[in-house]
This record gives sequence, C-alpha cells and structure tokens, in this order.
Amino acid sequence: MIYSEVSGTISEILVSHDQIVEKETDLLIIECMKMLIPVTTKNRGKIINIYVKEKDIINEGDKLIDMNYDI
Amino acid sequence: MSWEKELEEKVSREKLSENLGGKDRIKKQHDAGLYTIRERIDILTDKSSFNEVGKLAGHAIYNENNDLIDFKGSNFIFGKAKIDGRNIIVGGDDFTLRGGSADASIKEKHLKCEQMALSLQLPLIRIVEGSGGGGSVKTIETSGRANVPEVEGWNFVVESMGTIPRVALGLGSVAGLGAAHLACSHYSVVVKEKSAVFVAGPPVVEQIGQKLSKNELGGYEIQLKSGAVDDAVDTEEEAFKAAKKFLSYLPNSVYQLSDQIISKDDPKRTSEWLIEAIPKNIKSVYKIRPIIKDLVDKGSFFEIGKEYGKSIVTGFCRLNGWPIALMASDPYSYGGCWTSDTCKKVQKFVDLAETFHLPVIYLVDCPGFQVGLDAEKKGTIKEGVRAMSAIWQTTTPWMSIIIRNCFGVAGAAHKRGSSYISRFAWPSARWGSLPLEGGIEAAYRSDIENANDPKLELQKITTRLNKLRSPLRSAESFLIEEIIDPRHTRRIMCEFADLSAPLRKTGITKRTMRP
Repeated sequence: MIYSEVSGTISEILVSHDQIVEKETDLLIIECMKMLIPVTTKNRGKIINIYVKEKDIINEGDKLIDMNYDI
Repeated sequence: MSWEKELEEKVSREKLSENLGGKDRIKKQHDAGLYTIRERIDILTDKSSFNEVGKLAGHAIYNENNDLIDFKGSNFIFGKAKIDGRNIIVGGDDFTLRGGSADASIKEKHLKCEQMALSLQLPLIRIVEGSGGGGSVKTIETSGRANVPEVEGWNFVVESMGTIPRVALGLGSVAGLGAAHLACSHYSVVVKEKSAVFVAGPPVVEQIGQKLSKNELGGYEIQLKSGAVDDAVDTEEEAFKAAKKFLSYLPNSVYQLSDQIISKDDPKRTSEWLIEAIPKNIKSVYKIRPIIKDLVDKGSFFEIGKEYGKSIVTGFCRLNGWPIALMASDPYSYGGCWTSDTCKKVQKFVDLAETFHLPVIYLVDCPGFQVGLDAEKKGTIKEGVRAMSAIWQTTTPWMSIIIRNCFGVAGAAHKRGSSYISRFAWPSARWGSLPLEGGIEAAYRSDIENANDPKLELQKITTRLNKLRSPLRSAESFLIEEIIDPRHTRRIMCEFADLSAPLRKTGITKRTMRP
C-alpha cells in the first residue's frame, strides 16, 4: 500500500487500474505547498487499486494506491 | 603453594556464565532469527578485543555444604572492546535470561557500565533487548515488596549525552526501560521485522482496549516516523555496521576532536550536471540526495533519521577527509517547508553537531514553515522557534548555501544572527519574507479588485515583481555575500572544512533555556 507522506491536493493521476509499472515510475502528482510532488513506486508492480481522484484533498497518511509486486 | 585451584573455579564459573539462559532459551533465540548477546558482542567488536567486566556476577545455587551447584550470569553483559581498532564500551541485555528484565539482573552492572564509559570518556554502544534491566510484573514477588519507581544511574545517562557518543541498538522486542535506553542515545538502530519498541507491549496495551500485534504497536515503520528511533536495517550485522559508521565521524568524547582521514576524492572536483540540478519551473521538485552525494567525499554520506521530519535530510559526511554535519532541504516533503517534526529533527541534529564540535553545512531550500490547520495543531511555530534557537546557540563553524527557496522565519533560520557564518547562493536562489506566489493576491487585493481586468492586473503585478526577484539584485545591496557557480560548490565546501578544522574547540556545550 502506498500512503501519502504529505497533505495536499491530487493534481494528476498518471497510472490506471491493472497497469504494470516499472520501479521508480511516477504514479500521481500531489500539489502541496504550491509544489508539484510526484509519488513514485520503489518497485516494479501492477496497479491493483487507486483510492483517490484528481482534485481530491488528502491528508498525510491517506491511502493512495495499492500495488501487487508479485508479478 | 599455588592459587591454581581458585583460578580453576573462577574459569569454571565464567564458563557457566557463558551458558546464558540455557540451551533451550538459546535455541529459542536462534529460532527467532536473533543472535544471543555474546554472539552480538563477538560480531560487533574486533576479534578477541572484548574485556568483560563482572563475568562472575550472577545468581549462584549452593548445596547444604555451600558447594556450588549451578551458576547463571547476570543478564546484562558489558566491558571494554575495540571496534575498528578504537576503544569503546559495550553493554547488552541477555534476553535468554528472564527477557533481560531486572529479575535476573544485577543493577550495579548497568550503573558501572554507564559510569565506566563516562569516566573513561569512551563511546558507549548499548545493545538492548527486552526491558533493559527494568522490572516486570513478577518483580513484586521476587523482591517481596513493591518498588517506589526509581531509575538509578540515569544521572550517568543524562551526563553522557553531553559528553560521549551513545549508540543504541534495539535488536528484538524492547519495552519500558529498554525503550528508554534506546531513545536516550545520539543514534539508534532497529532491525526491520525483528525489532519492536514500545513503552509497554501488546498484552498491557490490550488492557486499554487496543488489540495490536508487536509490529502494529511499535514496529520499525511507526518508530522511524515518530522519531523515537533513527534508522532501521535488514539484519543485525547491518545494525553493527551502522553503529561503527556513525561513530567513525565522532571523537571519543567532547574533550577531543574528530580526525581528518586521507580522502582520495579531489577537493577541487567539479560537477557539470549541477548547473541544471535545480528545475527552472519553480513548482517542480528535484532529488536532493544525488546532489549531496556528489558534493561530499565519495561514499562518505551517512544519513541519520531518513524517515522522520523528512523536509530536512540530515547526516554526517566528509569533505577533504574532515567530518562535517550536513543538513539539506528535501522539496519532496512539503516542498521543503519545515513541519513540526522537521523542527524537532533540526534541534537534535544541530545539538549533536555542537556537542561533538562538527562544523555544519546547510543546503537551503526552505519556502518557510508548513502552513495550514495540520501545522497549527502540531505546534509548528513552537517547535520552529526552538529549532531557530538551537541554530542561534551554536558556536561551531557554519556554512549555508542557498540553492533555491529561502523565505519567511524558517528561511531566516539558515543562519545564526549571533556570529559569523560562511554564506553563498546558487543562481537558482530566491528569497523574501513570503514567496510571491503566496502573497500577491493578498498584498495587492484592492489594486486587483478595482482593475477592469483583475486577471490581467495580477499578471502585470507578478511580472513586475518577478524582475526584482533575481538574486543579483540582492547582491547589489550585499544582502547575499556571493553567488557561486553550482559546479564549483564542492571546492567551496572543502575549503570551508579546511578552514573550520583549526577553529573547532573542545569541551562541554553550555546553553540557556529554549522557548
């Protein structure tokens, strides 16, 4: 599970359900303190669930994306 | 006449002491994927360098003729040893004997260990597992009365925090006094998935209605984020390696200075890519760690507290072989804004540098304190002024390089007002009381609202003000001393390290109260 490390607004979602992404891929962008902060996957995997949509206001610790790394 | 017989008995008792809590308990420890305390000390320290103190102290059982039947050592083992050829004191809990609790301990051993490190002015590594010599529920029965709570020897712990480097390794479940020992250190490490740290463990916490596993209550992710523990590694061997690396940057005590080592990295090395390391789009972030690693002596950056207060990266490094305490903003966390946790991290790190006389270099990209309801609820301004005060109270040589944002009160904390610092800026630097992006609408509200085309008016004002933002305009008024080519930053940092080395002064740090 990937949680948000900052509070802010979901600016852009860059991946979709079932998509396979390589490690260090940017998954979504959070606007926080007027900066655009990418959320990145550390490992290669498949997108299982996306818990947010664009313009959502999120808090630190909120669920963002669930991935399956066993592919 | 000879004393051989007495010596034989001594050796025999020492051998019994090496049995720890017995074969079954040792097997249980190994089955859990953990080393015993003797194995840990053996792996951590240089071969045959461990001189144990008090190996004969323990709990003996005698028969009716006063002959020894069995002997179990105390569950805290300590002594002098060497790591990388350097003297240290090491002490650790034997979890195989009553989980390291006071029931099987001799408290004077804990006290002597602390006193020995402090008096000999040697770094102390405490290996903690269990309750670290604290009491258990059964203590009342074994002692026949209830204790009035007291932590004897804590005076040594407090004094040594300002005198000798203290490293604590939490290598299993750590609770109560054990957790206190882990927290009371300059650097603490736990092992992922094996360690858990809490004031009280799951069975106690269940009594207040929280049914949690060890990991859910005090696993490494929780304790790193809370700042109670500095780092987590995958194995005990890595924990020992981290302890050694941390100590390699520090003197034995505040009465000494860290040594320069021979660096094979050219202090004048330039880095072409740094001219484009900071994006021109001010909303875009960049990765600070590759910049840090490039600027310092190759392979010398040792990060401390990576998961805590993440807007600031803190760690030790070497420049031309000299140990330096390095802080750098990380725009990936709140754009580099100082959160409440960041402020606490800065306080601890600056205190660490000041205590052990390490010069500080700060790579600044701070748009200010975090703003918003969360920030207010967490008392950011209170921790902020404490962090500022910690910086103002430093006397160690200080260098700040403003690489991007420097705004507001938190931005002002890139330097102390009390004495000279070396200060430089990259051409990407931007500063002010508030970032323009945050304040134009408020500061020029009536101009914008009264304009025929408010959007156009806002754009006009922004363009006009942006022309004033160049760091060269500030340099005209000597508000910034020097704008430097980012590619030559390493040379300037190495010169700072060379110039700072003879300025470092030994001794105990004294300071007044913080807000």
